[in-house]
Amino acid sequence: MINNKSRVWSFFSSVRLAIALLVIIVLVAIVGTIVPQRNAADLVASQLPSGLFSFLQTIQVFDLYHSVLFFLLLGLLFVNLIVCSINRFPHAWRQFRFKFSPENPDIFRGISEDAVISTEQNEKVVAGIAATAIKSRFRGYLNQRTAEGLYLYGDKGRFSYFGVYAVHLSILVLIVGVVIGSLFGIEGQVNIGEGQIANKIDLRDKDQALLLPFAVRCDRFTIEFYENGAPKTYRSDLTFLKNDQVAAQGQVLVNHPLSFEGLRFYQSSYGLTSDGKASLSLFKNGKKSQDISVGLGETFVLPGKEGKVQVLRVEENLMNMGQAVKLSVASARGETVFWVFRHIDKIREMNPGIIEQIPMFNPGLFHPYVFVVSDVQEKYYTGLQVSKDPGLPVVAAAAFLMFVGLMLVFFSSHRQVWLRVDVQAEGTRISIAGRSNKDAVGLQRDMKNIIAQIKRKLESSQ
Amino acid sequence: MISTKILSLVTFIYFAAFVFYLFRMTLGRDSWGRLATYTAFTGLLAQTIALIWRWKVSYDLGIGHAPLSNFYESLVFFSWTIVFLYLIMERQLKNRSLGVFILPVSFLLMAFASISPDISSRIDPLIPALQSNWLTSHVLTCFMGYAAFTVAFGLGIMYFLKIAAAGKKGKMIAGFIHLLPDVDVADELMYQSAALGFVFLTLGIMTGSVWAHYAWGSYWSWDPKETWSLITWLIYALMLHTRHVRGWRGKRMALLSIIGFACVLFTYLGVNYLAGLHSYLKT
Repeated sequence: MINNKSRVWSFFSSVRLAIALLVIIVLVAIVGTIVPQRNAADLVASQLPSGLFSFLQTIQVFDLYHSVLFFLLLGLLFVNLIVCSINRFPHAWRQFRFKFSPENPDIFRGISEDAVISTEQNEKVVAGIAATAIKSRFRGYLNQRTAEGLYLYGDKGRFSYFGVYAVHLSILVLIVGVVIGSLFGIEGQVNIGEGQIANKIDLRDKDQALLLPFAVRCDRFTIEFYENGAPKTYRSDLTFLKNDQVAAQGQVLVNHPLSFEGLRFYQSSYGLTSDGKASLSLFKNGKKSQDISVGLGETFVLPGKEGKVQVLRVEENLMNMGQAVKLSVASARGETVFWVFRHIDKIREMNPGIIEQIPMFNPGLFHPYVFVVSDVQEKYYTGLQVSKDPGLPVVAAAAFLMFVGLMLVFFSSHRQVWLRVDVQAEGTRISIAGRSNKDAVGLQRDMKNIIAQIKRKLESSQ
Repeated sequence: MISTKILSLVTFIYFAAFVFYLFRMTLGRDSWGRLATYTAFTGLLAQTIALIWRWKVSYDLGIGHAPLSNFYESLVFFSWTIVFLYLIMERQLKNRSLGVFILPVSFLLMAFASISPDISSRIDPLIPALQSNWLTSHVLTCFMGYAAFTVAFGLGIMYFLKIAAAGKKGKMIAGFIHLLPDVDVADELMYQSAALGFVFLTLGIMTGSVWAHYAWGSYWSWDPKETWSLITWLIYALMLHTRHVRGWRGKRMALLSIIGFACVLFTYLGVNYLAGLHSYLKT
């Protein structure tokens, strides 16, 4: 039992596992950039044998970054990081807490001549100057008198031992933030025509809509262009309604989302949609009998009172065949439902026999009338992305922690200096030695500065 | 446009600097080295002036944005950061041998920007997606990272050259190799450059995420460029870990710095051939 436990533990504490995981994650990520993901996968669906496609779909090749495999890899990395850190952190903690002795005669063995200063000043003055010099460049300071002389010690940058752990902790926090976001976050999309109100959004990952506790009205959508034809601004003027009362108003632009009750609204697309209003012309026995403006859901009576017409739908682009209006004529013959395309002549030209095949596309289905759409009024709709991510503060904290950690790892080091002041026959001698856990150059610079400062002070005190 | 003309001239200046660095290495006289440094510095200065000029012109046109907004400008800025970083390193190291490996990259980037017919050097106003204060900090940090990785790559190539030529005879080769820094020094520098690049790439990804949060409604969308920047980040993370924890040095580090640079190039250029949200870089 104990043996098993330690085997599992040592498996997860190995750096080899971490390296292997990083390599596998890299490979999976590369595959994900080559194989079309999510919606783009529909494009390859038709090119592959359906069996192969559904097999690939089952193993989530088309949604790799949200696949079980990927979460498994992240989970393993998560455990690996924790175990590695638990294994190694006590060592860093000991180094951080270690009380260095000011007395350390060994370290002065083999120091260069530059690191030894001799002066005629008495020990007390020299000790004072040396202590000031250390304190001016180092945070920690200790001293100790021994038979061999006075030892002074300074150090700084102890926190550098924690840098690696801060970075690793930040990865853990990041993963937690991502998981919170994917579990409790909302990602959706809504198109709202100018003047229209929406109170639900289409969720991205699921095939369902989410009812909002408020409503959003698009008052206006504006596009501006530069002189060269490139887009300059996409802007939606939105009004948020709560219980039919205006609760907030604002503009959404690209790069400038708007927040309401925890949901953020982003400008993501736009387009044209029918206004629900159309102009129709009625021909009876080949002769024009009436022009009429209609709106969605409205009804009107045919000029010869043969029946009542209801406008069922007004589309600005039906099945890529352009503007169309769906009508239902209620008469003694029963109910006749058909589509009237604005460009029916062109459609018939390109698809000969279409009316014979699909009677519903015949604008003259209700004899002796033929309907013609002369216009469908269009208006802009704004495409808004709606999102909520409760993991966001966690992710931001992770980013901050990672930054601090990287600074500690790469730009800080634990630097220590020892000074020995001993009385010689002809005066006082100062010896300086140092040690650093990673930045030897920085330590050299610190030591040079201390030596220079001591020499300067000694000269001026004479 | 004057700035574009200056920038095409800079292409030739960087080429000349490369040739002078090469002369220094093969002919062995240090005066070539000094000339190379002066030439590279002149190129950098001219390029800086041209970039500032472009910036000013964009304000005169009433567009007003930093010259970091399209593919042309990104190529120019990439080459600028490489030379900038290299010259700082040269000064600190007091060794000019790395120039032979670094300057050609800058020259090629500039040549690509100037010659390719598909790359427009016009100053265009910003489309809505780019109208953000995060544009400058995102591009700046990313390209500082790329430049540091380029230096690590140059050192990696140098490393392989040095060990490949170790046994070879011949005065010119021997002289060339002799001028290169010791393998240990090259290894340390490679690590430092990669570490610097890693910090900047991290900042680049972070600023990009913040920007994406405001522009696309999500800090991470698995857009190919995002994914490839993560892949690059992981490769360099791997490099740093294998060095620290498993003690990899020398050849393996050099290999990783070359693989890492290939990822950088793919993140920068390759993903343009994949569909994605960063599409405004295509023109």
